[in-house]
Amino acid sequence: MATYEVFLKKDGRDEFRHAGALDAANDDLALVLARESYLRRAEGNRLWLVRRDNLIIAGEDFVEPNTDKPHRHHDGSAVAAHRKATRESKT
Amino acid sequence: MIALRDLILAFADDEHLIGQQHTEWIGVTPFLEEDLAFSSIGQDELGHAALLYELALELDDLAPSDTAIDSLAYERPSDEYRSSAFTEYTTNDWAETIVRHWVYDQAEMLRWINVTGSSHQPLAEIVDRVTAEEVYHRLHADAILDSLLANADASSRLVDALERLAPLVPTVLASVDGEDDLVKHRVIRQRTDTLLPDLVTNIDIRFGRTITAPTPSVGRRSRSSSFAPLMSRMREVFDIDPAAIW
Repeated sequence: MATYEVFLKKDGRDEFRHAGALDAANDDLALVLARESYLRRAEGNRLWLVRRDNLIIAGEDFVEPNTDKPHRHHDGSAVAAHRKATRESKT
Repeated sequence: MIALRDLILAFADDEHLIGQQHTEWIGVTPFLEEDLAFSSIGQDELGHAALLYELALELDDLAPSDTAIDSLAYERPSDEYRSSAFTEYTTNDWAETIVRHWVYDQAEMLRWINVTGSSHQPLAEIVDRVTAEEVYHRLHADAILDSLLANADASSRLVDALERLAPLVPTVLASVDGEDDLVKHRVIRQRTDTLLPDLVTNIDIRFGRTITAPTPSVGRRSRSSSFAPLMSRMREVFDIDPAAIW
């Protein structure tokens, strides 16, 4: 048995989205089981299956250092505040 | 006309009983996804049975209401059913169930091909819709067998199951009375019982095993000993209060 991750996409502009996972003995069976488990009510028009074995998975500490970089969250407020302060100091 | 009605009922009854028996595995198949898939397939077969019962009702000049379909499906005396011992049989384990699922869907495919282009227009009209679903049933059965036949223990259980089912296999392709006339009028391409060699060949190829030489047509006039208990399970809720309005 292998675990497969299930991705579905509806026709149109939506991207493929992760729908869940399932266990199956082979690829053909995985397709049939995905069709019956995740597409019973036409939840998507296209189906991708990815064997979990084939995913390249980063460790948590590989990602962790990036959780503390507030300067990358630039929503423009710092610049706006700076410009406002500059403008007001001129008047 | 009787032969045509019997032919349709034979197909409908087999679809109905196999669908019911597949759905009896809800909650107890080996794993969750299989549970959903197998009961979906059972549900499809029940849908096909309903389509075929509608055709039988049309022949009787009756409106195909849900009540009328239910009454054909559940309320006939047993000698008016035309089901086969193969679909009446209640399997003892998952191995028998999977083998029967595969064999039944092979037989079903042969039967649908046999009515493709039928001169009985209403029958010809449902072939495409049904056979589109059957593709997935056969894919499912084949994918399971691909996996299990590759394993020595599983494979020997499946072959044992096939041996136990073998005597019943010819009954699923038994003809109804009067099929020669149906062939003459191009309702069917050939007698149903002449499809058996094709089924046996398919079984040979799939399991690498020749099943016991098929017996000649047994007809569809009598029910096997599995029928009464099966019908009583199917009618269990209904029988609590037959007068209830659903």
